[in-house]
Amino acid sequence: MKTVTERRKGYFLFRWKEYGVGYLFMLPWMIGFSAFVAFPVGWSLYNSFNKVIINSDGFAYEWVGLGNYKRMLIQDNTYPIILISLFQEMLIMIPLILIFAFIVSLMLNQRFPGRGFMRAIFFLPVIFATGQVLMELFNQGAGKLPFVDQYDMAALVNQFFNERTANMILNVLGKAVIILWYSGVQILIFIAGFQTIPKTIYEAVRVDGATPWESFWKITFPAMLPFIGLNAVFTIVDLFTFPFNPVLEIVQRNMFSPNTGYGYASAMAWLYFALVMLLIGITLWITYRATKGRRELR
Amino acid sequence: MKLSETYRQIKIEAERTVSSRRAQQLKKLALGQNFNDGWIAKAILLGLLSVIAFLYVKPILYMISTGLKSVEDLIDPVVGLIPRELHFSNYADALRGLHYWEAFANTLTIALFGSLLQVFSCALTGYALARLKFPGKNLFFFLILVTFLIPPQITIVPLYMVFNKLGWLNTPFVFLIPALLGQGMRGALFIIIFRQFFLSQPKSLEEAAKIDGASLFRLFFRIMLPLAGAACLVVFLFSFIWYWNMHFEASMFLSKDFTPLSLRLSALETELMGNKAINYSADVGKDPVSEGPKMAAAFLIILPPLIVYFIAQRWFTEGIERTGLVE
Repeated sequence: MKTVTERRKGYFLFRWKEYGVGYLFMLPWMIGFSAFVAFPVGWSLYNSFNKVIINSDGFAYEWVGLGNYKRMLIQDNTYPIILISLFQEMLIMIPLILIFAFIVSLMLNQRFPGRGFMRAIFFLPVIFATGQVLMELFNQGAGKLPFVDQYDMAALVNQFFNERTANMILNVLGKAVIILWYSGVQILIFIAGFQTIPKTIYEAVRVDGATPWESFWKITFPAMLPFIGLNAVFTIVDLFTFPFNPVLEIVQRNMFSPNTGYGYASAMAWLYFALVMLLIGITLWITYRATKGRRELR
Repeated sequence: MKLSETYRQIKIEAERTVSSRRAQQLKKLALGQNFNDGWIAKAILLGLLSVIAFLYVKPILYMISTGLKSVEDLIDPVVGLIPRELHFSNYADALRGLHYWEAFANTLTIALFGSLLQVFSCALTGYALARLKFPGKNLFFFLILVTFLIPPQITIVPLYMVFNKLGWLNTPFVFLIPALLGQGMRGALFIIIFRQFFLSQPKSLEEAAKIDGASLFRLFFRIMLPLAGAACLVVFLFSFIWYWNMHFEASMFLSKDFTPLSLRLSALETELMGNKAINYSADVGKDPVSEGPKMAAAFLIILPPLIVYFIAQRWFTEGIERTGLVE
């Protein structure tokens, strides 16, 4: 007869053997995470509080606390301006991408001849949207909407908005095609989202006499809310590496500049990261609130 | 007399109902029962989509046509999208300026092996997160989500130092080793895709295999991984395309010797024409002499992933819908 403690020990060993396999499966990721994510992130956070000087035998650190942050925000005042204008632009672009992707995916979800072909075209940009090729196309003016020049939209926009807003709108219009190109994955996610709504619901409300307009607002739209949130987050993350992102440019420039260096550049990157996380947090919170309200209604 | 009158009336009546029914049928076909399944609605839909699709395709057409234009055609504003004569020397210039085949081999090495490694490592991690029990699983999942959100600018300098210490700079290892360890480009997203996929598989399958005495590794490689074919394909293709197109990371880690195609495009001008071209394009902005070769080069760069996409496109879009990417 085994004693209770022995049995407990055996059970414990059995459990840990099971856990061990789990950890073994996770092992590559854990090594990779500590080497290529956790360590670099920690180091760059440390860098951001230091003045980093490169000399012949590596790095020299000089603790400056929040000095880097103070310097980039108060002394050199280009960074806050770039950040503010970037966020303003993002606030136009994110809804634009979402609304566009939603409408296109709604259309692509209908039945019509040549649907597969159309879907293939709308996903094409994911392949083309390489930073360098995109830049080149943009420099040559191929990224503009054709009607912007044809109908002299610039004058029109200038007439109705003050200078600052007008510039922002024109800036976005100038990249319009490229913005459309950034909605490939989002369109795909929305199409997949539509598949999760059972067809029978539509039949049921049609029998009850709902118009398509009503069934869209009462069924499709609420059911798609979580996907809109997901897409908003994806869009924000995608715009991190948007080739025209001026923050990336200034961070990179300061990295190798002799009078600012890694510490300063890290501080810039961290502030940017914090702000974007805030944006994502707000997005998730709004999505959560919107879907929660719906769950309670049901 | 009266009888024939009635008969005629009935006949007219019958004809009227038949024709009205036909008209109704036609109306139904054209307008549809719902607003969205009639001919007219479909035609409008297709028209709208075609217009937007044209906006999508136009830059590509522009790329192809500019690549085929001679300098005279480029300067002449009368020439629109269609060049007067096909001018293939731009492609020859681009091939020369990019050192195309060498750069192609470099890019292919990273994209192909990087993606394969990523499929493997992300499937492993995704499976562990979906199916295996161990303490700290939720923490790991949370960390993976955070990894997805960290902008590359934060980690790039420390990574540069790490790779420098390891002596991996300007070799494919800077991308292959992280891919092997589940930290490749957008690896977090792929782990999430695999996790979703494995969560949606029936549990009874595994239990049956376990009762038959299969070990967990055997189970994973023999049953779960082949089952995940659709997910593997989606991850492979996404990963291939993203590795092929990446620019920022490559410009940091692969600045010389082992450079991929995406980096050579920016060097094309100097490569072809020396410093003269830079001065020229600096004041004009748009330089007709290098515009043609540049667009030809751009087209050559995106051609391989384009071919891959056209071959795999059908399984690709279907696969994404089936992997349960979004749930």
